[in-house]
Amino acid sequence: MLQYNFKYEWLLLIRNRWIQLLSMVLFLLFGFAVYNGMQKVEARQANIAAAEAELKTQETASLKVLDSLENGQKVSLSRWRLPSRPVVIGNYLPRVVSMPAKSTAFIATGQSDLFTHYVKPTVTGDDLSISYTEMTSPVQLLFGSFDLAFVIIYLLPLLIIAFSFNVLASERESGTLKLLAAQPIRIRTWVLQKLALRFFWLTLCIIVTLLIVFAISSFDFSANFSVFGSLLLYIIVYALFWFVLAFATNIWIHSSAKNAIALIGFWVIFVLLSPSILNQLSNSFYPMPSRTLMLNQMRTLKAEATKKQDEILDSYLRDHPEYAINDSSQTRNFYHRYMATQNLVKEELRPVVEKFETQLQNQQQWAYTFSWLSPALTVQNAFNTLAGTSEKDYQEFRSQSLAFAKEWRDFFIPFMFNNQEFKKSDYKNLPAFEFSYANETSHLRILGLLLMSVVIVTLVFVFKPKQQQIQIAM
Amino acid sequence: MIRHTFKKETKELWRDGRVRIAFIIVLLLTAIAVVISTNYYKNINEQYVEASANEREVWDNQGEKNPHSAAHYGTYAFKPKYPLSLIDQGVDKYAGTSIFLEAHKRNEAQFIAASDQTGLARFGDLTPDFILLFIIPLLLILIAYNSMTKERERGTLTLLNSQGAVGWKIVLGKWLAIFVPVCSIVFILFVITGFLLSSLPDFGVFSWSSLFTLFITYMIYYAIFINLVLIISATVKKSGIALVLSLSVWILVCLVLPKAASNLAEYKYPYPTRQEFAENIAKDKKLGLDGHNPWSAAAKKLEEETLKEYGVDSLSQLPFNYDGYRMQKGEEHEAEIYFKHYQYLKTQYSNQNSIYKTLAIISPYLPTRFMSMAIAKTDYNTHWDFSDAAENYRIATQKFLNEHFANETSYGDWGWKADADFWKQLPKFEYEPPSLVETLETNTTSVLMMFVWLLGSFTVLFFTTKSL
Amino acid sequence: MHAVWYAKSTITNTTPMIRIEHLTKTYGDLTALDSLNLEVKKGEIYCLLGANGAGKTTTINLLLGFIKPTSGNAFINEIDVVAQPKQTKHHLAYIPENLMLYPSLNAIENLDYFSGIANKKFKKHELEAFLVEAGLQQSAFKKPVAKYSKGMRQKVGIAIALAKDAKVLLLDEPTSGLDPKASNEFGQLLQKLRQKGVATLMATHDLFRAKEVATTIGVMKDGKLMKQWSVDELSLKELEESYLETMSYNTL
Repeated sequence: MLQYNFKYEWLLLIRNRWIQLLSMVLFLLFGFAVYNGMQKVEARQANIAAAEAELKTQETASLKVLDSLENGQKVSLSRWRLPSRPVVIGNYLPRVVSMPAKSTAFIATGQSDLFTHYVKPTVTGDDLSISYTEMTSPVQLLFGSFDLAFVIIYLLPLLIIAFSFNVLASERESGTLKLLAAQPIRIRTWVLQKLALRFFWLTLCIIVTLLIVFAISSFDFSANFSVFGSLLLYIIVYALFWFVLAFATNIWIHSSAKNAIALIGFWVIFVLLSPSILNQLSNSFYPMPSRTLMLNQMRTLKAEATKKQDEILDSYLRDHPEYAINDSSQTRNFYHRYMATQNLVKEELRPVVEKFETQLQNQQQWAYTFSWLSPALTVQNAFNTLAGTSEKDYQEFRSQSLAFAKEWRDFFIPFMFNNQEFKKSDYKNLPAFEFSYANETSHLRILGLLLMSVVIVTLVFVFKPKQQQIQIAM
Repeated sequence: MIRHTFKKETKELWRDGRVRIAFIIVLLLTAIAVVISTNYYKNINEQYVEASANEREVWDNQGEKNPHSAAHYGTYAFKPKYPLSLIDQGVDKYAGTSIFLEAHKRNEAQFIAASDQTGLARFGDLTPDFILLFIIPLLLILIAYNSMTKERERGTLTLLNSQGAVGWKIVLGKWLAIFVPVCSIVFILFVITGFLLSSLPDFGVFSWSSLFTLFITYMIYYAIFINLVLIISATVKKSGIALVLSLSVWILVCLVLPKAASNLAEYKYPYPTRQEFAENIAKDKKLGLDGHNPWSAAAKKLEEETLKEYGVDSLSQLPFNYDGYRMQKGEEHEAEIYFKHYQYLKTQYSNQNSIYKTLAIISPYLPTRFMSMAIAKTDYNTHWDFSDAAENYRIATQKFLNEHFANETSYGDWGWKADADFWKQLPKFEYEPPSLVETLETNTTSVLMMFVWLLGSFTVLFFTTKSL
Repeated sequence: MHAVWYAKSTITNTTPMIRIEHLTKTYGDLTALDSLNLEVKKGEIYCLLGANGAGKTTTINLLLGFIKPTSGNAFINEIDVVAQPKQTKHHLAYIPENLMLYPSLNAIENLDYFSGIANKKFKKHELEAFLVEAGLQQSAFKKPVAKYSKGMRQKVGIAIALAKDAKVLLLDEPTSGLDPKASNEFGQLLQKLRQKGVATLMATHDLFRAKEVATTIGVMKDGKLMKQWSVDELSLKELEESYLETMSYNTL
């Protein structure tokens, strides 16, 4: 039966122009989505490059000034902008702490429109003053982006539904089912074969159109072979899930209109409702503390700390006797007090700030645990991870860059407390930052989705409506 | 005839199990959404009241201090939450809630709620606006997709025609049978929300007229949707095709176009990155007057001019503390720079906005979305309005502080400290959001677009169903 | 499976190819079929006459396994249709009242597909031979079925039966909606099949066509078989009178 189904399904799909239509729609959707994604990634990379270039020019200028200073020449700069002051280097020549796009970043916008891709932590700046959110019109954030992930997660299921909602019902409605049912076959197997074949052709269409679109946008297949493989795998498993749902619906429900409604219902539940309900629940179970109230706390702490700056500095120096010994002049100015205070405030604020991080982690954990309830969510997460634009990636960037900010401060603190001048030779010792993506894969989750599909098919065969219950006549 | 068709259709719909279940599900979802939103709204409002009071207390009790130190110490402006945000959260989740007001610097609103949430938040929330904008149109499609095709498929259409039925009257009857139940549900929802809001202790700027306008907006949106679905149902032969086509329209109008529009807007009129923006401002600032830098060229020029204006030889002879005067001048200059750069952002946004407005021609979702947010005061314009008000307050505060410094002290007296009581004299930050009339005025294109859609779709429906 | 099938097909001429015993089907209070007993032997054409709702189509649907009987048994070629519905379908062909095929495929392709999924493979010329045998004009072979008339589609249905080498033919109102010429042609086809030894059960309310093609005629009413004649036993006029009499019998 398979051989004949294969041959004639192909003929029917071609003659009814399904394959042609599908390929064209997929090509247009993928093309537009990839183009959009590429645009965004290009802008992101260009911004980082521009910032690096800007830093380079400033660096060259500063090095020149340092050179002149060390050679005893006069420079036309106000006293406190002299690069020989460590605080000037630390504040005016901050490193570009950047998060370069993965080569696959165009796949999913993820959180990339919400968060910034480079920060410039300064010596005197505190962690909370680093703004990690990007300057984007909130309208854009609200509407979201037309990326490959959107096409696959939202639109592909709808294409599949349109492609498969009436495989059995249309036979019934057009009358051919009677003739089929009079053949020595099992209708359920026959439907399964039909859908499997449609799944096969759809998968082929997806692979071919994706290959073409990726090739057009000059995607480096050789370097990203495994990533492309994972992408295809995720898409195929997700598509399979929807075909399986279509199979169950085809077997259990009898008219094409009812099938369509049931499948659209599934789509609304899995794609629209369950993520937002999960989100709502995660917010209720692990509510974020109020940022405005955190501000209040921070203000009070800072106000108290400022009043006691001298005491704080003294105790700081008691803790760090090396700074007190090394500097014979013992000149203490604004920045010494400031840095000591900063440290204290940071320490005291830590529990408050950490509460946000832990709540966020709790929420993530919760969402992760229940994400199997929504295949759309599973696949979105997988795509985001693949593209390096997931919540976790940006969290990683935050923690890595904050660690660097500390490194940067720590580099200058000895200079400042020892009232030591910054020399040209110190320049090469400045800490450098390189972001590294956490190596995570979502294979297991996707495997879970695959398992779910298998379970559904098995259920349909186990709790079979008897052949007779597959209503033959209208 | 209209009345008869209406009665018959209502009966048919009510007897259809699917429609009944769908109605119940939508009602249930709406109820959950309203409960969640109410809690959220109450929570946020309490936090807002507490934070504002605390912040003012911190400001009032900062003790003896130099006014300029106080200026650097700064204060916070918190964005209030408006009652109708209970129905439409708009862009609130993506716009900051608090602005730090300090000397020399205009800050962006901080703490975007979405950045404190998991990626889940990007799928959208279960809020009333989600149901009103996405789910109810789906319900309408479910109810209406076969209202014409079923007559054709059952052959009852010829029967109706033989009874001398007039096409548009039948359609109107059907139209009402679809519209009335949905309209009543939404009406009840709005009335409940209205009473809920007016019973809350501090319901601030809640007005029934805004709520009513919001209701009308959604009714127009639904009318347009019903028209579209009925046009499809009247022109195609099979129910299945009508359903698929109607759903495609829904997907296109509600999902695809807004996203495509946002991509197009970003591509054509991009915002600078946060760092770029800051650097551009820093560059401009470097060229101009810096209140803290008496050695810059601009500062020297100001010095000369001031001396000339007052006809004195040295700064100490001026009738005020020149340090404070220079601070204020520098502040004014910097404020101008910020104004210029924020103006650029606004221009970019209004350009982006024009793209959304143009695309409203093919998506009735867009004008509805913008109208709904605007009326609920959760749109980007209101955010801008708030941000501008905060900036004006910041400028006024700096002026207040600098003038006190300039008038109370003499040149060079940086060690002077203002009284601990002085800070209380600073007026409080009060923000009044745009009124309903103003909102409607700024959104005339959206209003117009909705009416064009409404009338246009009615006309097309009338002509397609003139002879069935 | 095939071995079993061949073993069972070695049966004598007198063995009934369709055997129905006390077949009853009820839907709640409604009795659609009331303890029906019926046999159709090899080379017989059995016509079931009756008004709408008499139980003719129910009988055929039960034989096809489309619905399950409430009680009683039915056998196709001595295979139980309830226990082994899939096996019985190797032996039977079915032509519904309105036979529908895949409109975008042509006659050869439709025939190839339907016999293919029944595990019967043929070369193209063999398929054409079946269609010729079923009386379809050669010029129509390559046209999509969408353009076929009902009569032409039924010929494809017969070709499917021929290709399958079906021993039992189940027909549900095959001549309704056919013009007299097509109807006549269809009758001749049935005779041809009868000579090959096919047992045919045909539900119809066309008394005249029944008299023409049938070997046995049964009259059904309210799910019961009221009367049964061999066609040679009486003339058309007698049949008509008897039929009408039966029909009015219970309603009085």
